[in-house]
Amino acid sequence: MKKLLTLSVNGQDYEVEVEANRLLLQVLRDTLDLTGTKEGCSIGVCGACSVIIDGRLVSSCLTLAAGCEGKKIETIEGLAKDGKLHPLQQAFIEYGGFQCGICTPGQIMAAKALLDENAKPSEAEVKEWMSGNLCRCTGYYKILESVMAVVDGKTDPDYAFRKRETTAKIQSLDVYKPVAKTS
Amino acid sequence: MSKAEKFSVVGKRVQRVEGFDKVTGDSKFIADIHLPGMLTGRILRSPYPHARIRAIDTSKAEKLRGVRAVVTAEDTLKRPWGAFFADQYILSVGKTRYVGEEVAAVAAIDPDIAEEALDLIEVDWEPLAGVFDAEEAMLDGAPLVHDDKPNNIAMHLDLERGNIAQAFADSDIIVEDTFTSMPQWHCSIETIGSVVEYAPNGKYTIYMNTQTLFNARYRIATALGVPETDVRIIQSAVGGGFGGKSCDDNNALVCAVLARKAGKPVRVINTREEEFLAGCRPRVFMKINVKLGFKKDGRIRAKELKVIADNGAYSAKAPAITGVAAMRHDTCYKYSDVKLEAKLIYTNKIPTGAFRGFGNPSAEWAVEQAIDLGAHALGIDPLEIARINAAETGYVSPHGNRVTSCELKQCLDMAERMIDWQAKRAAKAPNTGLGLACTVHVSGKRHFGDYDGSSATIKINEDGKALILSGEGECGQGVHTAMCQIAAEELGVPVEDVEISRADTDLTTFCLGAFASRLTYVSGNAVKNAATNVKQQLFAQAAEMLEANAADLISRDGRIFVKGAEGKSVTVADVARARLFRHDGAPIVGSGSFDADSVLPDSTRFGNESGAYNYGVQAAQVHVDPQTGEVKVLQMVVASDCGTVIYPIGAEGQVEGGLAQGIGYALTEGLQFDEGRPLNPNFSDYRIPSMRDMPPLQHAFADSYEPTGPFGAKGLGELNMDPTAAVINNAIFDAVGVRVKTLPITPEKILRALKEMG
Repeated sequence: MKKLLTLSVNGQDYEVEVEANRLLLQVLRDTLDLTGTKEGCSIGVCGACSVIIDGRLVSSCLTLAAGCEGKKIETIEGLAKDGKLHPLQQAFIEYGGFQCGICTPGQIMAAKALLDENAKPSEAEVKEWMSGNLCRCTGYYKILESVMAVVDGKTDPDYAFRKRETTAKIQSLDVYKPVAKTS
Repeated sequence: MSKAEKFSVVGKRVQRVEGFDKVTGDSKFIADIHLPGMLTGRILRSPYPHARIRAIDTSKAEKLRGVRAVVTAEDTLKRPWGAFFADQYILSVGKTRYVGEEVAAVAAIDPDIAEEALDLIEVDWEPLAGVFDAEEAMLDGAPLVHDDKPNNIAMHLDLERGNIAQAFADSDIIVEDTFTSMPQWHCSIETIGSVVEYAPNGKYTIYMNTQTLFNARYRIATALGVPETDVRIIQSAVGGGFGGKSCDDNNALVCAVLARKAGKPVRVINTREEEFLAGCRPRVFMKINVKLGFKKDGRIRAKELKVIADNGAYSAKAPAITGVAAMRHDTCYKYSDVKLEAKLIYTNKIPTGAFRGFGNPSAEWAVEQAIDLGAHALGIDPLEIARINAAETGYVSPHGNRVTSCELKQCLDMAERMIDWQAKRAAKAPNTGLGLACTVHVSGKRHFGDYDGSSATIKINEDGKALILSGEGECGQGVHTAMCQIAAEELGVPVEDVEISRADTDLTTFCLGAFASRLTYVSGNAVKNAATNVKQQLFAQAAEMLEANAADLISRDGRIFVKGAEGKSVTVADVARARLFRHDGAPIVGSGSFDADSVLPDSTRFGNESGAYNYGVQAAQVHVDPQTGEVKVLQMVVASDCGTVIYPIGAEGQVEGGLAQGIGYALTEGLQFDEGRPLNPNFSDYRIPSMRDMPPLQHAFADSYEPTGPFGAKGLGELNMDPTAAVINNAIFDAVGVRVKTLPITPEKILRALKEMG
């Protein structure tokens, strides 16, 4: 049986018609094309599908989409604003908090849920909280370091992703203009 | 002084080239790829470990609304395929040999219909007696998994180097024991999947999360019976590989057959349960009997290894893995006389295969404990025994492995310092113990034809940025970043000016892919050679522009200038454009290749298997609760010799991630089987470590330089998975005096052992 729903995702309302048994994970990924939320274990153990609903961290693989009407859903796609990364996203790059990146959206959403509630958790609190998000690549050390970098304000304030004042930039806007012999 | 200090990009803490995509969720993994009109494929799997298929009736499934294709072996060539032995089929032919084997498949317009269609396929089964234990499978009269394999023997190795009887006779003490390792699953958070588009002209375009594209292409083309050119493999982002995504399974093949029959793109993605049953090929489980002879002063005089390895129903890479388990570790210490016997046995279980370490974790689990036994028997500090026997630069193993750089002794010193070995030994607390183990791995392995090489192409774009075209692929470990650093270093440009393409068999030259810790070393050399080629072209053009000799030019930070006259320079962008936009214009593009100075092992498996060997030491302090048997790892230290560290964040990640898998292997991971049926194929019951399971860790890299490596680098990826289980068990023995002989080391087993000790 199909149901017409209005879902609020990252501040935007979406009207969707879905089967009553559809999971939030499926609706986010397949209906709304928000594929940043990942499926890992399908039984709520690995945390890859973590999203935040009304401030609470949930496994979207165990959550019925139909139950989310009227709630505020946050996914990884909502974190970066105008091309500027969220401090957690930036920290994960600076401190190497991912390798393959499949669990990373879930890790970052989990960390965000924690920091939204408690901006200064202890390292032990972070470890305990983040233990619901499995990662097979990193051994977790750099994930912990990334989260603690945000807690301790150690991220680079002038951060830009792989950008620099390039000496290689084209000196003339006219790409076809012959290059002078020397410069 | 470290030779790495003179580099401007190599060894710097640069950012991952894919960083932005990874943290925003924008990275396109296989499940994120949608093609217009794409169907969902689902696979009907064998519920029996061993059964004859009398008939399959797919008519009801075909009639279900929304079903676009149903396939069985009749839709295939029934041609066996496999990495080393051709013994598996795309879909079961006549019988199935393990629970989970692919029997039939459907493609439908949505997953629910596909699932429903599976239920409508009727199979007339005749269950057969199966064999589930390798030792029982070898007995006369045991059911045969493959009719043409008497006693279920897939492979039998029996080798002696030197004179083993004399060597044991010369030994002052002899230790011997048997250790059993367990199957371990890769548990990549992303399962195996494929999206296949079939064009009526006969071409298959396959998006895959494979870590070995060209090997996948070869196997898929062989099994489908088409030329390799008719198979294009495009790598999606890969959500963890660890050997499990090296195309030893049928996922992409079934998807291809469905796509051809349906005439529409099809996607087949394993569920987590399917991944455990029949996806990635788990670590080969082995029973290893090890016997070591020592001289009184601690030198190892003789080594004999007997390996019984469980192949599962089909071979994948288990034949090579079993050989590695029997022989690789002989490159870690200075051995003279060794004997080994290894049997690889078919059983009615999931085919086993490549997983980080490739036989070495099973071998090190056994041998590194035997060395610990020897140390205790001789009353010599285990660290000292390792030091006495450690391999050094110039060592040639009994099997012909030639070591061109080795800092194992330096690693021992570092580990000793980091864990404060002597002080902790002197002040041993009750139920607390120290353990260590050494480890060795290759940097590439020559076993696919007589080739252990790589190739790469670099082109300079009109804006001066370099683009590397490589078919090796990125499976999450960060190798693409290391490649960009190597190219940037050689070209003399900032690392931000180097990009790398995704791997695509139609667009890149032949590459073997990610296995055997080979990419930084083998592919790094190829990229470096491509960059040298491109730099020569840049310099030739720049010489014209600067009115100078090319031989007098140098490049730095994206500019090319005459040595000693830095005021006059041209940018790489200027040079690239000047070369292109003129009569006889041409792009600046160059290729490079590299083949390691290794040897295809002969019929007795003699021959230098790799171009370089990487070494390491791990040490642990553990506490064992004698009431509960619970093990707490209090501290771990790791020292690694991977030559020059190219990409520090990535290298550290390899150490930390390898260690985590080693800890899982040691303490919690293991699939339970009941008559070939896996009992815990999910993340709830098969427990991989989480953040709270990781001990305090210190690690460091040896000051090391591999003369044949790119800027002195060699492999690292597998090294720190290999010894961890032995390290922890050696520490447990030091703590409470018992040794569990089978993995994983559970509290129940420790309590039982403590009880037996009395």
